[in-house]
Amino acid sequence: MNNNPLSPHIQIYNWHISSLVSISHRITGVINILAMCVICFWIWTLTLGNTNYDIIYNFFNSFLGKFFVISFIWSYSFQILCEIRHWFWDLGYGFELKTSKITGFLVILGSISLTIIFYTFKGILI
Amino acid sequence: MVQISLPKNSEIKKGNYYKDKTGSKNIRKVNIYRWDPATGDNPRIDTYEVDMDNCPSKVLDLLNKIKNEIDPSLAYRRSCAHGVCGSCAMNMDGKNGLACTKPHSEIKGDINIYPLPHLRVLKDLIGDLSILYKQYESVQPWLKTTKKSDGTENLQSKEDRSKLDGLYECIMCACCSTACPSYWWNGEKYLGPAVLLQAYRWIIDSRDEDRKDRLKKVADELKLYRCHTIMNCTNACPKGLNPAKAIASIKKMLATS
Repeated sequence: MNNNPLSPHIQIYNWHISSLVSISHRITGVINILAMCVICFWIWTLTLGNTNYDIIYNFFNSFLGKFFVISFIWSYSFQILCEIRHWFWDLGYGFELKTSKITGFLVILGSISLTIIFYTFKGILI
Repeated sequence: MVQISLPKNSEIKKGNYYKDKTGSKNIRKVNIYRWDPATGDNPRIDTYEVDMDNCPSKVLDLLNKIKNEIDPSLAYRRSCAHGVCGSCAMNMDGKNGLACTKPHSEIKGDINIYPLPHLRVLKDLIGDLSILYKQYESVQPWLKTTKKSDGTENLQSKEDRSKLDGLYECIMCACCSTACPSYWWNGEKYLGPAVLLQAYRWIIDSRDEDRKDRLKKVADELKLYRCHTIMNCTNACPKGLNPAKAIASIKKMLATS
């Protein structure tokens, strides 16, 4: 039996919206933990005075920094919407194929809209 | 364990090309996964040119045509050809299904046919399902009751009977389990959608007296909770059933009981 080959799996299997959202849910979870570390580091630098704060301030306003901030906002929005979807699943709703496709699509669309809203109106919100 | 790439002996090589000999103008290319246990070579993809003018509508008809007219060495399971026995479950066009109920007209471009994913291949399109059958046995899929038979039927109310709808139709073709990434990575510990749907079928049966014990047995970090609601199972089921919902119902019963 050891010599028998393993049939191909992830290499050949089609992606569905549901599987795509599921794997992204996991990846954004890991990204969020890293993002938490960055935020903690930021708060820590605040305790060290103005000059240290400037380093983070300048980074967040650089091109790369902005990219990070937008990515974090998206990653959090996506995670939150996914969790809401999971709450409904835990209550036993939303398992029909059509519903799960629509909610999966809404999670993707919603996360992008939330990112745009949060980033554009960040001045007003804070 | 998550292993994205295939082991060395499973890497797929290019295989033979069977050119059409009928001279038909309506030709489709069919790529089929082949592995012969007698040679010990790596698996390969053989390509067949098939005359579609003289081929009935389903993928199974296509395979039969290839086996009868082009290459008799092709091996695959089939029996009823009406979507009842579940023998011809395979991966067609990147999705699991029954070859006998899947019309080839639904597939665009070349037709790619593989065995069910992440199984030990016995030959060509035949995968080894013995682990799945052992897991099926482990949920004790039979009615457990202490009631002595008095020669009459063990009756159920209409309402109780309707709880089995969407569960009893399962034909154990393994399309769902072999579509599940969780089952790919933890196939020996996680029971998988097919077996969990069967487990739920007996848990929810009003005539069964072993519900508590059944729930206790299945309530396990690996056996049950490896389901992350990826929904590939429900997407794949050729009978239109919903294993993801059945698994969620078990989880809900455990959380609320």
